[in-house]
Amino acid sequence: MTTAHYDIVVIGSGPAGQKAAIQGAKAGKRVALIEQEFEVGGACVYRGTIPSKTLRESALQMSRFQRTAEVFEFKLRDDVKVASLMSRLDHVVKTHGRLMNDQLTRNGIERFHGRARFATDREVQITTVEGTSLRLRGEVIVIATGSRPRIPESIPVDHEHILDSDSILSLVYLPKSLTVLGGGVIASEYASIFAILGVQVTMIDTADRPLRFLDQELTDEFFAAFYKSGGRYVGGQQIEEVAWDGCSRVVTRLKSGETVLSEKLLVALGRVANVESLDVQAAGLDLTSRGLIPVNHQCQTPVPHIYAVGDVIGPPALASCAMEQGRRAVRHALGLDPGLDPEHIPMGIYTVPEISSVGLSEQEAVGRYGGALVGRAHFHEIARSQISGMTNGVLKLVADPTTERILGVQIVGEGATELIHIGQMALLNRLHVESFVDTIFNFPTLAEAYRVAALDLLQRRPSRSSVISRDGL
Amino acid sequence: MPTSSIVASTDLDRADELRHVLTRRLDEGELDLPLLPHVANQVLTLAHDPNADAGKLATLIQQDQALAAQILRIANSPAYLPRSPIVSLQQAIAWLGLNMLAGIAFSVSLQSGVFKIVGYEREVQLLWRHALATGLYGKEIARRLRHNVENAFLCGLLHTIGKPLILHVLVSDRQRSMRLPWSVLEPLINEFHIPAGVRLAEAWALPDPVQETIRFYQDDRYHEARSPTKGAVITCLADHLATFLLDPAEMEEDALRALPVIRDLNLYPEDLTALLDLADTVRPSVECLIV
Repeated sequence: MTTAHYDIVVIGSGPAGQKAAIQGAKAGKRVALIEQEFEVGGACVYRGTIPSKTLRESALQMSRFQRTAEVFEFKLRDDVKVASLMSRLDHVVKTHGRLMNDQLTRNGIERFHGRARFATDREVQITTVEGTSLRLRGEVIVIATGSRPRIPESIPVDHEHILDSDSILSLVYLPKSLTVLGGGVIASEYASIFAILGVQVTMIDTADRPLRFLDQELTDEFFAAFYKSGGRYVGGQQIEEVAWDGCSRVVTRLKSGETVLSEKLLVALGRVANVESLDVQAAGLDLTSRGLIPVNHQCQTPVPHIYAVGDVIGPPALASCAMEQGRRAVRHALGLDPGLDPEHIPMGIYTVPEISSVGLSEQEAVGRYGGALVGRAHFHEIARSQISGMTNGVLKLVADPTTERILGVQIVGEGATELIHIGQMALLNRLHVESFVDTIFNFPTLAEAYRVAALDLLQRRPSRSSVISRDGL
Repeated sequence: MPTSSIVASTDLDRADELRHVLTRRLDEGELDLPLLPHVANQVLTLAHDPNADAGKLATLIQQDQALAAQILRIANSPAYLPRSPIVSLQQAIAWLGLNMLAGIAFSVSLQSGVFKIVGYEREVQLLWRHALATGLYGKEIARRLRHNVENAFLCGLLHTIGKPLILHVLVSDRQRSMRLPWSVLEPLINEFHIPAGVRLAEAWALPDPVQETIRFYQDDRYHEARSPTKGAVITCLADHLATFLLDPAEMEEDALRALPVIRDLNLYPEDLTALLDLADTVRPSVECLIV
């Protein structure tokens, strides 16, 4: 077997792998990119981010149509097919895939279609889909193989009645009822999407509320919208058994004695790194106890010329972070300045309504500064929200109680994932609350919420009543 | 299915004559499509009814004693390994599952109904055996792809529904005493089954993914299918796996592994090995589903 030599070999073409490869190519290096699927993009494009957001957008459009049906005197079909909701997906995915392919080609990156396995710490063997093998040698190797849904052994996922977050995207029809196991990001996103589509959704999780890592005000708002759509959350529960009754219902028995029946069940209990077929031991690497590849803050593994980026190294498992990890890892490997450590990375959660956060939450600010100035803008106060009929939501501004410098922004409501970037820029530029009061925004826009929240914060300031002490929370 | 390479000239003449008849009848829409059996029709409707339950299906199946008896036989067969003898339809439904049972009921009612073709029982059985194996493999391929498996069985089961229809048309077009050799019929069936199957699927209002699968399941057409259920491409491979299982002389493993559809489904050699390893599960399931 002949061995081809490259400066950099990247395994996996999701957001992390792509950016690693492009960074290498832009630095003038010869780069090979290995992908086991046909197209580049990874789970992000084909099984995760892009498809679920497309479904979400279709669900929202349908919800808007339903709300305005009486005004425009039309009626939607009762039996909306999932295929119809996903009709734009193929176009979106193909367009995205073509753009990524063009970008890789433009940068002279050589692509290989096959499954990669370490032969040594410098060599990777590729088995193609036809069964042939070839070997690549890389001076630097970047592992970016991503993740897949975690399925506990006790849950019999059959992709027919009991689904994971991959197979739920190929549902043939909308079920009447859906149980969602989990209370994290993926669980909350799908639960809220199916709820607005009219499916009776029950979320079950061990935590007392979903998205526990977020400010409770945000989850309360999400909760209210979810319940209004007919959803139900059963928290603080352990699963005793999940089984299909062999007839028409999935039966979920809880240790509390409660039984939940549903037509389908979605298992959304986190993700696991795709490392099995890599044989990382052959490269001198061991996995962490959680099955992840261990790295330092430069995404460098204990084998110095091997880097790992994206979901394969664990949290935060955000596509945006993964891209930056890929870029920085290769810059570090090539001895180039990676730039300042990224600060204030926003988090976007595509629930209905959207949730987004950057910087410190109120609780975190109190913990770090001994108190926090807080201002809020409720979306029903914002003209643009009234116009678009999306009045559920709140923007929360958190500031240092002494200097009034902005420390964090949390938003729940439609447009949150876009709106957050104004707050992110304020944080990066260390702006003070008054900057938002002095700035003129377009009217009517959702961005006006920043000004409203800043005014609310400043209005509370003279009495200092909004400086919440640690004891006050 | 083996075909004799020696075809008498009179048979060739007959084949030409029949081809002409089939072409004309398809062109003119005179295929004399059989009605979907009442029970099969209702079973199909029920299988896509979100309010369906075991009780409704049991009541429906009870209307057809022969069908009820066949379902109990299948539920008790070793392929489905009941924990205890299945004695009631409700119990059979609970054990086999609503969707599987609906597929079985549909298949059984067709085998013993419209497509019971006197004089060609063995050939029709071979066609059904192949269709059932395709349906069962289809589910396993979908599962392997982490794709929803819900439609795969029905797509596989009905992908060649045009074959018994063409046989039915050819045979009913002749005097029954003149039994045509299979070597004459089989090429005609293979040539015309897709347009015939499409007409039948439209007339029976089969689900869209099934109609698309019938139209595009072949190697040179599955690229044209658009349904996100991937029924056509999955059924294409399932069809080859069924051939390999039931008629290994038709296809060697190396040829099977070299099929472009395997690459197009992005199935790696170990994935195909895992599917081939299911032969011992699929074969008995097929046998027990044959009426």
